[in-house]
Amino acid sequence: MVIIGENIHVIAGVVNQAIKVRDSKPIQDLAKSQVQAEADYLDLNLGPLTKNPEETIRWVINTVQQVTDLPLSLDTMNPVAMEAGLPLCNKRPLINSASGKKDSKERMLPLAKKYNCDVVVSVINDRGMPPDVEMKTESIMDTVAHANKLGIPSEDMWVDPIVLPVSTAGEGQRFAQASLEFIKIIAEVLPGIKSTVGLSNISNGAPNELRPLLNRTYLVMLQRYGLYSAIADPLDKEIMSLIQGKMPDVVSLIYKVMDGEVIDLSSLSQKEIDYVKTARVLTGEVLYSDAWLD
Amino acid sequence: MPFHFFDDGSWPNPPVFALQILDREPPEDLPTFLYEPFKDALHDPAKWAKKIEEFDYVDAIQLYLLSTDPADQDSPPEKAAEATRRVAETTSLPLIIYGSGDPDKDAKVLPTVCEAVDGMNYLIGPVQKENYEVLGKAILAHGLFASAQTPMDINLLKELNVKLGHFFPLERIVIDPLSPALGYGIEYTYSLMERIKQLGEIIKDKMTQMPMIADFATEVWRSKQARENEEQGILWEAMTSLSLLTAGANILTHRHLKSMKLVKEMYESEVKQWQK
Repeated sequence: MVIIGENIHVIAGVVNQAIKVRDSKPIQDLAKSQVQAEADYLDLNLGPLTKNPEETIRWVINTVQQVTDLPLSLDTMNPVAMEAGLPLCNKRPLINSASGKKDSKERMLPLAKKYNCDVVVSVINDRGMPPDVEMKTESIMDTVAHANKLGIPSEDMWVDPIVLPVSTAGEGQRFAQASLEFIKIIAEVLPGIKSTVGLSNISNGAPNELRPLLNRTYLVMLQRYGLYSAIADPLDKEIMSLIQGKMPDVVSLIYKVMDGEVIDLSSLSQKEIDYVKTARVLTGEVLYSDAWLD
Repeated sequence: MPFHFFDDGSWPNPPVFALQILDREPPEDLPTFLYEPFKDALHDPAKWAKKIEEFDYVDAIQLYLLSTDPADQDSPPEKAAEATRRVAETTSLPLIIYGSGDPDKDAKVLPTVCEAVDGMNYLIGPVQKENYEVLGKAILAHGLFASAQTPMDINLLKELNVKLGHFFPLERIVIDPLSPALGYGIEYTYSLMERIKQLGEIIKDKMTQMPMIADFATEVWRSKQARENEEQGILWEAMTSLSLLTAGANILTHRHLKSMKLVKEMYESEVKQWQK
């Protein structure tokens, strides 16, 4: 699986500050540590870039490319910044992201054709966030068809079902299922298409110390259904071990939960029990609460 | 499931209708028609409770310790315990004893109250995430029941029940999801109560299988519509109550006798019809 390292993120205080004062070091440190952790891409999440969009994105790209030759995922909703950044990338970049919204179709999506690069395409459209798998699929088919017409081949598009927090009262667990279902069927619906998710959002709102467990378990489930890539934290060693096949026992336990098999917890280690309980919450078998491990 | 007689259902534990009384004279901004039948007893909660026994459709009494609220009279725990003891001695009806809802103050008041009604099988609340350890232990030590309150959120209510369940028997917990009045967000509680029942029945989630209390007595009479005139107020409370009864509430707290009578009669005629 292709891991897009998520750690250079403008919401992180240290990144925000470094960009503000043009201090290369914190950003280069984050880049280097993710390279070392075997990330495949580096995501540069710069938010809306309301001030000096062009100059800022150029500075961040140059700063990162001084220490790594990994391909970049340019993550901003500002098309002006995106267009300023794309020609600077040494390796074929990823536009993160376009959607089915009118504005995005007109201003963001054509950049993938113009600069011959890959593009994340989310299921969001002018009606908002499609709530279930049928509507997500319908929305992405429209947007992909539109992109094909623009001359963007399906192979260059990484579709994103938009993962939402499982902790959202009443609906989060249904959302988690909808995104899983989407990944499961999308290769058949749109042959040649690639896929990605913003993984960490699954655990937004959950207690901080427990978030990695939700992220890891959900990624294993998505990987089983053929997910091509994820924007995730490569510094979480266990995430990398899981997807690289170094923890087959845990993976097979998670699969068993997905298949509804009965699992005897008494024969398992504490860590394995935690994975089983987490998978049960993500499949919707057990009602979510912040105390799901208790 | 409530009213599911058509599907071989039964209702072995009928809903409990509780009339709310206060540990002080009703605040002046409340309409006087609310308390007309009790007007000579309002100065003394024990007399008030005694008088309620004349109305045989009342199943239980909710004693709301309003005066302990720091925003009200901030009266001390001992005073609340004394009032509770006298009410308990006077009435043979089961009691639901509610603190002010201020988590810190309740943590001081309710343990003293529990001591005063040791072994009486009463329901004590609201137990909240801020004070569940202190209150849970006091309630358990005195052989009482806990009403666990969370703000209209299925995940939070499960979490509180899980945490409480570490040391408190699940079969002594009642779920209080908060119940706003008709027109003030009742839809949220309606859907939530439905979902609690469904999860308890379909997924067999033990943390959602407890009985539920719809404690709308205070909320209904905060509304302008209920206060405006008596007939409208009665219907406002009755509609709130009936709605939450159909959603699955097991205990319903009323302030007006007539709204309680109305809903209870509707419930009983419905049950009779199905039992024929």
